[in-house]
Amino acid sequence: MAADFKTAQPVEYYRRFLKEDVRPDGRELGEIRHTTLNIGSITTAEGSALVKLGNTTVICGIKAELCNPTAEEPKKGFVVPNVDLPPLCSPRFRPGPPSEQAQVVSQLMADIIENSGVVALEDLCIVEGKLCWVLYCDMMCLDYDGNVVDTCVISLLAALKNVLLPEVTVNEETGSPVTDVEKKLPLNIRKCPVATTFGVFDDHYLFTDPTNEEECLATGVLTVVTTEDNKICCMHKPGGTALSESRLQDCINRALTRAEEVRKLIDETINSVER
Amino acid sequence: MPTDSRRVPGPQDSRSPHWYGKHATRQEGDTRPDGRGDHDLRPVYLHAGVVSQATGSAYIEMGQTKVIAAVYGPREIARREEFTMKGRLCCELKFATFACRRRRQHIQDNQEKDGALIVLQALEPAVCLDRFPKSQVDVYITVLQDDGSALAAAITCAAAGLADAGVMMYDIVAGCSVRQCGERQLLDPSVGEELSQEGESAEDHGMVTVGLLPSLNQVSALTLDGHLQQQTAVQAVKTCIGGCQGIYPILKDCLVTSTRKKIPALDPKSSHASTEGQNGQT
Amino acid sequence: MSSTLGVLSDAERLFIVHGVQDDLRSDGRACEDYRHVQVETDVVSNTSGSARLRLGNTDILVGVKAEMGEPDPGRPKEGKLEFFVDCSANASPEFEGRGGEELAIEVSNALQRIFNSRSTLDLTALCIIPEGQCWVLYVDVLVLECGGNLFDAVSLAVKAALFNTRIPTVVVTADDEGQQEIELSDDPYDVKRLDVDNVPLIVTLSKIGHRHVVDASWEEELCSLARLTVGVTQKGTIAGLNKEGSGSLDPESIYEMIESGKKVGMVLNSRLKEALEKEENSKREKIGFLG
Repeated sequence: MAADFKTAQPVEYYRRFLKEDVRPDGRELGEIRHTTLNIGSITTAEGSALVKLGNTTVICGIKAELCNPTAEEPKKGFVVPNVDLPPLCSPRFRPGPPSEQAQVVSQLMADIIENSGVVALEDLCIVEGKLCWVLYCDMMCLDYDGNVVDTCVISLLAALKNVLLPEVTVNEETGSPVTDVEKKLPLNIRKCPVATTFGVFDDHYLFTDPTNEEECLATGVLTVVTTEDNKICCMHKPGGTALSESRLQDCINRALTRAEEVRKLIDETINSVER
Repeated sequence: MPTDSRRVPGPQDSRSPHWYGKHATRQEGDTRPDGRGDHDLRPVYLHAGVVSQATGSAYIEMGQTKVIAAVYGPREIARREEFTMKGRLCCELKFATFACRRRRQHIQDNQEKDGALIVLQALEPAVCLDRFPKSQVDVYITVLQDDGSALAAAITCAAAGLADAGVMMYDIVAGCSVRQCGERQLLDPSVGEELSQEGESAEDHGMVTVGLLPSLNQVSALTLDGHLQQQTAVQAVKTCIGGCQGIYPILKDCLVTSTRKKIPALDPKSSHASTEGQNGQT
Repeated sequence: MSSTLGVLSDAERLFIVHGVQDDLRSDGRACEDYRHVQVETDVVSNTSGSARLRLGNTDILVGVKAEMGEPDPGRPKEGKLEFFVDCSANASPEFEGRGGEELAIEVSNALQRIFNSRSTLDLTALCIIPEGQCWVLYVDVLVLECGGNLFDAVSLAVKAALFNTRIPTVVVTADDEGQQEIELSDDPYDVKRLDVDNVPLIVTLSKIGHRHVVDASWEEELCSLARLTVGVTQKGTIAGLNKEGSGSLDPESIYEMIESGKKVGMVLNSRLKEALEKEENSKREKIGFLG
């Protein structure tokens, strides 16, 4: 009976739940799904992390390679984030080039990295003007059940914290790089950005961490990215319902608390993994 | 190479730091680096039902090799084509960019296309395609880390995903590889053993992968790379079949567990039958 | 033929299967007999090596171009071989549009499979300057007509073209500053040839009923659900194996198929070698391209 109602009138079905301050999966409006973290499981990557937010699963693997810095910025390396939403993770994606959504999320990740300053690009320089690191951060969604942005940011941050780079020196005679695989150095993580996504329904219900179903029904989505010094480094609101100032303030406050929890989780997990 | 405007661009060209490093050389000896005997499998972890959005899915770990497969369908054929009474099976295989030591590209390369075809032809004989006319079943496989025998793991994982999706099958498919280095036959090789140049100069060297329908004892996939004497080749295929028989009970266990989870009221015997479909020959 | 391609009636199918059972195929061959093979080398003048091959109705043209390039970083002292297969729409109506693409990939993967072993071809001979320059052999395969057994025909033609390939001799000189220079020989007859003795040929064995046949015609291919492509060298080494098609095989028949593949492959190798050497020695006037 309930299932029929849901199929026939999904919006009304959902509204009835929200009126009771509860969501169909039993969560309260402000409740976030259980977050689990697995760090460093991909040994072929320089750094990796698998994050599960409820059902949504994202794996981030970071490959480090050597390249020449650009002439304009000889002291800077590169961080290249890409989000892949393969057909494996949901029936809504088909094989082929990245979907529009994947492109948007990839660009958002690039913005977050740049705005938050999570990694100083100068740290990636080996020899000025000659040699630097490029970190390819590839995030792949393995199970798409909504809120892929938050999951991607957590996986990116955790994977970056897991990165170990081999020591590279330049042989002065030949000018070619020499890699010392034995000596590995961690990356200096300057900031810890964490994203929190909110869904808006019927212009006044506000709920955190939307599932796939909720994302489809929501009239607007808002993502707030904050760093540990309680600053907002990125905000993403692609159209939809307008929000009043007080509501926005409410979102930011909630995002700050959530970010604190996530940072604690990442640190705990990293400490529990033997390096 | 044309630039890819749909992804965040990186520098024009970059090189792996490992080119400039010293490569660890493999020690000669009777045991393998991980202490296994030549005909031992690595520990296998197989779990079905890992992707919530898919009709069926499975995840396999063989040593450090990690493969995930998701099955969607039977659903409408994407491209309108001629009417067919038989269903279609489509298969796509992708290595994650961070799956190997060298970084792989986002765009599907020839090795992946070849692998997809082998997995497809390994699965086709097992699936009752006549049970879903006009529709297709999509199998998407991603290799998250390749530590050797990725193709064999992909076959096993995809078969478990198909069974988990409730697609009618005559039998399950188990995959297994053997690396031949001179006289030695290494079952379920790790990536170090796959790439080692030991025995390259010897008469016999090569890699054999077999997909087996274990209860029908039919070989649905067979590939061999390298140069082998006829007798050695036959022997290697036999070793692979032995390896597949070793994986079979793990596959069965995994499917029983996942089915029990889906239908708690069902007793184990009948639940087993429902996932494997009818267990007979056509 | 064109409109009926891909369709076979039950009666025709039964006729072929029963014939194979009695070791007598519809064109009079026994199960392990090849069709007539015609091979001609040096047919395209602006390539380094070329060959044209007819096997029954299957018609293949292969051109090999040698160009200089950079070696793979993983194998700095070796040259490279690259295959490109084109199944043109002329070859079969099924190839119209993008239809031939999938098959083309299958064929080039099969070639890649038999050539990627180091004992197949001495790629170090293609090295010019280690980590600097090497010869890259571009092998272009053009399928002019497809009358069954494409894999075998392509491998025969590729081997013939490689046999015919002549790579100009180059001399590397170092000047005072250690800069290396590559000089091409002026004499057009000062060329290097490839040692193709270890290059395998593909023998495709198609399972029909309870038996298997070699060199299946397209009608026979339609009757077969599972095929085994076996790479065989002159010495009888198995170089590459692949099961194709949507059927499965029982282990015993695989072992039998490998055995007959080896037997047939060795004969095929020596016959091809004979033919190529004979053609080279009898410097006859080349007849027209389509003649």
